[in-house]
Amino acid sequence: MEKKVAIAGFRIAAAPDLETTRERLVFDLSKGLLDDLGITRDAVDNFVFCSNDFMDGRTISHVFIGPAAGGYMKDQTKVEMDGLNAMIYASMGIISGQYDVTMVVALSLTGSQASPYLYTDYSLDPTYDRQLKLLNELSAAALEARSYLTAGGYPEELLDVVAAQDLKNAAANPGQARRIDGVSRERIKGSPYYYEPLRELHCYPPTDGGCAMLLVSEKKAKELTDKPVWLLGMGRSTDIYYLGDRDLSTSLSAAQAAERAYAMAGIKDPASELDLAEIMSLFAHQEPLLAEAMGLLEKGKAAAAYEAGDTAVEGRMPINPSGGPLGAHPICATGLIRAAEAARQLRGEAGENQVKKAGVALAHGQDGVCAQQSAVVILGT
Amino acid sequence: MEETKVVTGAWELSTFKFNIEGRGLQLMLKHMKDRKLMGIKCHQCGTVYLPGPFYCRKCHIRIDEPAEVSDHGQVMTFTIGYADVRGNPLDEPRIAPIVKLDGCDSWIMGVMQGCAPEDVHVGMRVKVHWAEETTGSLQDMQYFVPE
Amino acid sequence: MRNVGIIGIGYTPVFVSKRKDVSIVEMISEAVDAGLKNTGLAPEDIDAYVFGNMATFEGVNMPHLWATEHMHARGKPIMRFATGGTIGMAAFHGAYYHVASGMADIAMAVTYEKHSEGDAQVGLMGIITPELMAMLSAGIDVTGQSGMGAIGGGSAGGISFQASSYLHRSGAGIEHIDAIAAMERRNAAKNPYAHLKDPEATAEKIAQTPMVSWPIRFGHICPTTDGATVCILASEEKAAKIADKVAWVLGVANCASDATTANLIDSQITDPAEQLPAIMASKKACERAGIEDPKKEIDYVEIYNGFAHQTLMYLEKVGMCEVGEAHKLLEAGELEMNGRCPVNASGGVVSTNSIGTSALNRVTECALQIMGQAGEHQVEKEVHKAMAHGWGGLMQYCTITILGDKPKKL
Ligand SMILES: [Zn+2]
Repeated sequence: MEKKVAIAGFRIAAAPDLETTRERLVFDLSKGLLDDLGITRDAVDNFVFCSNDFMDGRTISHVFIGPAAGGYMKDQTKVEMDGLNAMIYASMGIISGQYDVTMVVALSLTGSQASPYLYTDYSLDPTYDRQLKLLNELSAAALEARSYLTAGGYPEELLDVVAAQDLKNAAANPGQARRIDGVSRERIKGSPYYYEPLRELHCYPPTDGGCAMLLVSEKKAKELTDKPVWLLGMGRSTDIYYLGDRDLSTSLSAAQAAERAYAMAGIKDPASELDLAEIMSLFAHQEPLLAEAMGLLEKGKAAAAYEAGDTAVEGRMPINPSGGPLGAHPICATGLIRAAEAARQLRGEAGENQVKKAGVALAHGQDGVCAQQSAVVILGT
Repeated sequence: MEETKVVTGAWELSTFKFNIEGRGLQLMLKHMKDRKLMGIKCHQCGTVYLPGPFYCRKCHIRIDEPAEVSDHGQVMTFTIGYADVRGNPLDEPRIAPIVKLDGCDSWIMGVMQGCAPEDVHVGMRVKVHWAEETTGSLQDMQYFVPE
Repeated sequence: MRNVGIIGIGYTPVFVSKRKDVSIVEMISEAVDAGLKNTGLAPEDIDAYVFGNMATFEGVNMPHLWATEHMHARGKPIMRFATGGTIGMAAFHGAYYHVASGMADIAMAVTYEKHSEGDAQVGLMGIITPELMAMLSAGIDVTGQSGMGAIGGGSAGGISFQASSYLHRSGAGIEHIDAIAAMERRNAAKNPYAHLKDPEATAEKIAQTPMVSWPIRFGHICPTTDGATVCILASEEKAAKIADKVAWVLGVANCASDATTANLIDSQITDPAEQLPAIMASKKACERAGIEDPKKEIDYVEIYNGFAHQTLMYLEKVGMCEVGEAHKLLEAGELEMNGRCPVNASGGVVSTNSIGTSALNRVTECALQIMGQAGEHQVEKEVHKAMAHGWGGLMQYCTITILGDKPKKL
C-alpha cells in the first residue's frame, strides 16, 4: 500500500483506577495530544470515538465525550468495538480523500466503574448462553486455553512463561496499569486459579484507560511530524459465534485478518519481515495462539520459541514488548493502544523496552469471546 | 402464527459506579445557600455556564473562573406536561420552562408556578422563587414565577 | 475518492409492533436474505459488513457477534457503529467509506431494532443515568414538581421544548404539526414497509389525540417498531456489472454540537430548535455533492422525524426552504407526493420507528425514489437528486446523505 495514512501522535492512559470522569479522561488525552503536536482542535476535521454503552452504563455514551475531545461542530462518529477498528475506519476516511486529520479516541473505565466481565455477559446469546449461565469471558477463555495447550502438546507452564515475559515488559513500561516489580514464573504459578488452567496473573487486569491517536494524510504528515509512522496494511475478519462450531486451538479470525493485512502491505514471510508484534492477548495462552495463527511463530513450536527468548524484547520476533494487555486492558482502547505501542517502538521511543531494529510492526485487536473478531494493522517507518 | 418462547433478562445499572464532574454543581450548590447563582466563565471567549463545566466546549480549554449570574431571566422555550414518562396522565398540567438567566449563556430547566398554562410564552420575564429556608440543595430554587 | 452507488435494499417482510414469530437474529437474516435476493448476489460477493442498532434497547451488547452466521458473515470483516438515532445512517456512511477507500468493492449495511424485546424508555433515560443520579443526590425531584433542573417534559421530554421553540421561531402553529402528521400517516398507508398507516388520516383526527406535553400530542409521536433493513453499496465498476438501477452517493456528512436539553451537570447551552449540526451537516454534504442550492437542485427529501414537527423544522434547517416557510409549503400542498417539494412519501419515522433502521430507511427510501422503485408511494415528479437526513443522541447530532441518479464527475 502507498503511504497514504500516518500516525502523527498518540497519548495513552491506563491505571487500575484513574480517579477521573469519562469527559475529563477524553479531554486530557485529546488536549494533551494536540498540545504535543502544537495544534488546536481547529486543525482536526473528523473525530472517531470508540466506547461501549454497556461498559459506560449509559445509552449513546459518546454524547458527552464529543465536545470534550474538541469535536464541537465537527464530523463525528462512533465505532463500538475494539479501538483498532476505529483506527481502521478513520484511515478509510483519509484514504478515500475526504479527510486530512482525524482524531481517534477510545476509552473505558472498567477498572473503577464497572466489571469488565459484564462486557461479555451482555454480549452472549440471550436466548441460550445467557440462560444457561455456564459461559462467561473467563470460562470461555479457559476452554480455549485447554484446547490450545492440548493441540500443541504444550505443558500448562507455558502460560507462566508467557505471562512472566509480558509482566516483566509491563513493569518497565510507564504506560501500563499492572506493574509488578521482580515478577517471576513462581509468583505467577502461585496466583489463584480463576478457571483452570487460567490463573489470576494469566488474565488481564480490570483497567481504567484510554488512547487518543491523530491520523493524518500524507500531505499533513509532513507538516505535523518528523517521525511519521505509516499505515502499510490492514485486515479484519470474523468467526462464527458459537464456540462449538469453532476450532478453539487456533484463531480463524486472526489468521484471515493477518493474511489480508500482509497482502496489502506486500509481506510474504511475516516471521522474518516483521520486527515486532503487539498482540491483543487478553489471557496468557492467547499470545502464542494468536502469534501462531498469524504466522509469527511456527505451529507447535511456541514453547521452544519462548524458552529460547525469541519473543523477548531482544529476541528474533519480539511479541508485546509493551507488556501487552496483561499489563492493561481498558476495553475498547486495548487494540488501539497496541497500534500506539507499535508506533512508539517504530519511533524509537520505547525506552527500556525498545526493540533494536524496529522498522515494520504488527498490531492486533480483537472482539468477542475467544477472539471471534480480529483486526490487524501493519505499521512501518 | 407460531409463538416463540420468551426469556427474560435485565440490564443492571446497580453494577456501575459512576464518576461524574462535580465541581461546577458543588460551586453552585454552595452559593445557593446564600440565594446566589454561581457559574463558571470561559476566560477566552467569555461564555458563562451554569452549572459550570471544567472546560469550554467552544475553546477546548480548561476553565475555572467563578461568575455570578442573576436569578432573573427570560423564558426561551417551554412545555406543558400532561403525562409522566410512562404516558400516565398527571393530576394537573405542569409548566416547565427553559430559562436563560441574565448574565448567563447556558440555559436552565425548571418548573413554573403563579401563571396559567395559557399565559406562558417565549420571551416572558421570570425570576427564581427561593425556598423559605435554603440548605444548599437544588430544592433551594423551588420554581420560577413571573417577574 | 471513487464513486459508490446503492445497488440494492432488503427489508424485513413487515415493520410492526411485535414480531413474535422470530428471534432477533432470525429477523436480521430476513432482511439480509431479502437484500441478497433483490440484487441476485451470493453471500460470497459481500466483501464487508457494517452493522448498527441501539444495543442498550434490547440489552444485547455487540449483537453482530451473535448474528454473524445469520448474516452469512463468517470469514468477513464486520464493523459495528453506535451513534443513537442516527445509527442507520452512521452505518451507511461506514459502508460508504469501506467502498470509497477501496477496502471493499461491495459492502452491506445491516441495521435492526426489535423494540418489543426491550424497553426504549428505560434505554433513553439511560443516556443521562449518571447525571440523573448526581442530580438526585443534589436534591432534584424526579417527579418534576419542584426544584431546578427538574425534567418537566414527561414522556416527550426535551422534544417538546424543541417543538415549542420551533413554533415560536417559525410562526407555525400546532395545527401544522397535526397536518404534517396526518400527511405522513396517509403516505404510510401506501408503503408496505410502514407501521402506522391511516389512509383516512386528517389534521382534525390527529388534533383529537391527547396532549402529552404541549405542543406534542400523541398523534405526533412515532411508534416503537420491530424491523430490519439492509443496504448494499458497490464501487462504480462493480455496480456497472451487477445492477440495472443505481442510486449514486454524491455526498455524506455529519456534525455534532453538544447535548442540548439534558446536560444537567455541565449546563445546557443551545436552543434545541436551533440545530446548528443539521445546518452544518447539510452544508458540508451539499459541498461534497457539488450542490449549490438544495432548494433548486434536490427533488426529494426524507427527514428523520421521530416527532411530526421535525419534518417542518428540519426542512428549514437542511436548506430546502427558508426559515418560517415550511408550514406554508405544507399549507400549499407542496410537501405531498404530488407537490413540488415532496417529503417523507414513505410515511417517515413518525409512522415507523425501528430505531436502528430509521436513519438507514431515510437513505433507502431516497434510493427507491431515484430508482423509480417506490411503487405506490413513488412521487409524481422525477427524482434526480435526493437528500436523506438523520438526527440522534440528545438532539445534538445530525447526519446527511445526498444521492443522485448519475455518478459524480471525478
Ligand atoms: Zn471559551
